[in-house]
Amino acid sequence: MPVPCRRGCGKNAVLKRPKTGDALCKECFFWAFETEIHYTITKAELFNKGDSVAIGASGGKDSTVLAYVLKTLNHRYNYGLNLMLLSIDEGITGYRDDSLETVKQNRDDYEMPLKILSYKDLYGWTMDEIVAQIGRKNNCTFCGVFRRQALDRGAAMLDVKCIATGHNADDIAETVLMNVLRGDIARLKRCTAISTGSEGTIPRVKPLKYTYEKEIVMYAHYKKLVYFSTECVFAPNAYRGHARALLKDMEKIRPACIMDIIYSGETMSVKEQVSLPTQRTCTRCNFVSSQEVCKACVLLEGLNKGLPKLGIGKSSKAKRMLEEYNAKQAGNEGALQDAIKDLNDTNSIGARNQRISSKKKNANKENNDTCNKNDCCGGGCKSNASNVDPVASNKKLNMLLEQFGLDEKESVKKKSSLENGVSDPNDEHSDEETPFNAQEEDDTCSASCGGSHIAF
Amino acid sequence: MNCKKCDSPKTVILRKKDYYCDNCFMLNTNHKFRACLGKNKVLTPNENVMIGLSGGVGSTVLLDLVHHAISLENTKKLRITPFFIHLYDDDCRCLAESLIKQCEKYNFDVYVVHLAVYMNSNYELPQANTLQDFSEENERQVFKDMMNSMPSSAANDFLLKIKRNLLVEFAKKLNCSVIFTAETTNTLAVNLLSNLAIGRGSQVQYDIGFCDNRDDKVKIIRPIKDISNEELNHYISIKQLTPVNDSHIKSNSLQSVISSFVSELQDNFQATISTVCKTADKIGDQKESNTHEKCLICESDLDVKNMKLSAFEATNVSRMVSLENNQSYPTFEKTPDIIHRLENNNNTSVFPLINKYLCYGCSRNHSEMNIHKLPNQLQKALSAE
Repeated sequence: MPVPCRRGCGKNAVLKRPKTGDALCKECFFWAFETEIHYTITKAELFNKGDSVAIGASGGKDSTVLAYVLKTLNHRYNYGLNLMLLSIDEGITGYRDDSLETVKQNRDDYEMPLKILSYKDLYGWTMDEIVAQIGRKNNCTFCGVFRRQALDRGAAMLDVKCIATGHNADDIAETVLMNVLRGDIARLKRCTAISTGSEGTIPRVKPLKYTYEKEIVMYAHYKKLVYFSTECVFAPNAYRGHARALLKDMEKIRPACIMDIIYSGETMSVKEQVSLPTQRTCTRCNFVSSQEVCKACVLLEGLNKGLPKLGIGKSSKAKRMLEEYNAKQAGNEGALQDAIKDLNDTNSIGARNQRISSKKKNANKENNDTCNKNDCCGGGCKSNASNVDPVASNKKLNMLLEQFGLDEKESVKKKSSLENGVSDPNDEHSDEETPFNAQEEDDTCSASCGGSHIAF
Repeated sequence: MNCKKCDSPKTVILRKKDYYCDNCFMLNTNHKFRACLGKNKVLTPNENVMIGLSGGVGSTVLLDLVHHAISLENTKKLRITPFFIHLYDDDCRCLAESLIKQCEKYNFDVYVVHLAVYMNSNYELPQANTLQDFSEENERQVFKDMMNSMPSSAANDFLLKIKRNLLVEFAKKLNCSVIFTAETTNTLAVNLLSNLAIGRGSQVQYDIGFCDNRDDKVKIIRPIKDISNEELNHYISIKQLTPVNDSHIKSNSLQSVISSFVSELQDNFQATISTVCKTADKIGDQKESNTHEKCLICESDLDVKNMKLSAFEATNVSRMVSLENNQSYPTFEKTPDIIHRLENNNNTSVFPLINKYLCYGCSRNHSEMNIHKLPNQLQKALSAE
């Protein structure tokens, strides 16, 4: 039975808004969605006329919708902004290489300049190489810390007034929960701020702070925006996944709870006697830090010294590791001296270095090999990726349409079953939620690994 | 493996790694209770203290701890005059009876009060140790109807507020200025996350902290807030106590989801619950508020924190842009007009009575309730201009 649009425009509604439960038609939804973001931008005074703004772009749904909406609003309400895209290439084969193609598409579609910075250039390591060192656990820590700084560096290069990121309401609520679970009071305090940054740093703003992920997906779907929707290959082990799973469960029961959690975060204050870290600059790289040496430098040092766990866990452990390392180094040095004496050959140091670099090259080569494999099956592999892609996103969409969509769900479902070439077994059941939910719960951590997402 | 403290054979394992013997464990648990009361310095000697008992694990141990502490004859004697109260509803009538027996063993009197007295604010003390023959069949039904008229998340939250309200009222009747309640670390961790999920972030200090002093005259204190359910279960088996009730929250609610989430995560990360509670200890008001506007349901200060934009405004704007029907097709107006119009359209708020009579969380719940089922006094107060 068709439900009329709540705004009384005479058309039939296509979705029910999770935030308020109102049913809207497609046109009215576009208008409401954009107007809300406009309200957020204006009310929170995120931008000034004439500003240059970098949009942290990953090619994912959030940043694609952000770029599209900012461009639209900039034009419609005369913000006078100079928008550009800023992407970070973490060097994750099978994820970022493909998503960067989407960003390039955005660049052409929205006519915005694009700057891409890579971890390889900035830090000398790709995420693939880092994961080879650290393993599947804790790798999101590296990626998040490095990206935060990489975005700062990119923004400085582009000489922009601020960076807009695609964090949505779900991401923020999730972060509030995560910081409570981890007991991170300092981050808990600042994670709900719509704009962060103090003097000397380039502020970051989150125009989609009050926008539900579900609506972003629906908006991108109805607007037919091109985005990349594969999960980061390294994400599933992140701690954030726990908070995400909890939030998804709660959202099913009371969709408004996402806003309520954000409100809680906004109105909560920290007791005066609690000491919080003060912001300063890293003595090594001069970027923002809460410690003498910033996390990015510590992590990088660990990688370069072959102690990848250096920046993970307690600082006391790190100290001990460093001491052991230094002692060992001293020992090695001694052994080396002996060797030099024995052989009376000064080239041995060079040889050692060469060995290391050739090892590194090997690692690179391995990665290249896998890349090449992707390339050599060229079309096949690509179509493979894009085969996975629409099916996955269709599933997600189907689920959303099921929960919030109204009349179109029939057609979409049929379309997907046609595309899949098999009849959808769910067609027969009236209560299809379970299989889709199971599917959704699998995608645990896209937020922490979406390009613009930083561990705040 | 031997006891960490005294090297005698271990009998108790905590957090999968810490070994204790019965003796050291009991000393430790007792100490946690005493230290919690001692370091917060809220009790004056010979104070009247009302103790709320639910019959659950926490309440059973609290009863035992209090009994032990006041029967000491040395300087460590806990100098309070305890009064016991139990709030029950129709679903757990026999629990109330078992609870009376539980108190009998300690020679304590307990007042048993039906939750439905909330409906007519009839806070007369019943005779001790008896299940009052609550003749007002009608009221019990009205109470049940009210609780069933709202979604389970709102009902769980509202029930906590009702109990709090009743405890405070009866404490006043008994001339008690302090109430003990038996929330454990586990309960409080769940309550903290539930509070966040219901928009009560600014009330965490009162709902999860050691002391709830929202009422001017009566303080609610949580003396076993540092003791975990794991420890309580050991305590109960060592002392061979019998709890009479398991805490029950309505299922398929935010609270039930959070509760199972927390215990699952605790299984894998043994520090979860204590971390969550330590976080709660750091959250609180920076300034003593000087406004006297309080929420009519939960007695919290009405949020007056000055924010340009919060989730509250954002939700309201969401509603307005979804309702506005004075034009058949959306047009795109220039900035000032539309913002102005969105701000001056108050009659469509998602949050009824907010900041006038209700706090954010209570207002959210209120929007999901059937208002006509609320107690008359509350209805009257909420509709007063």
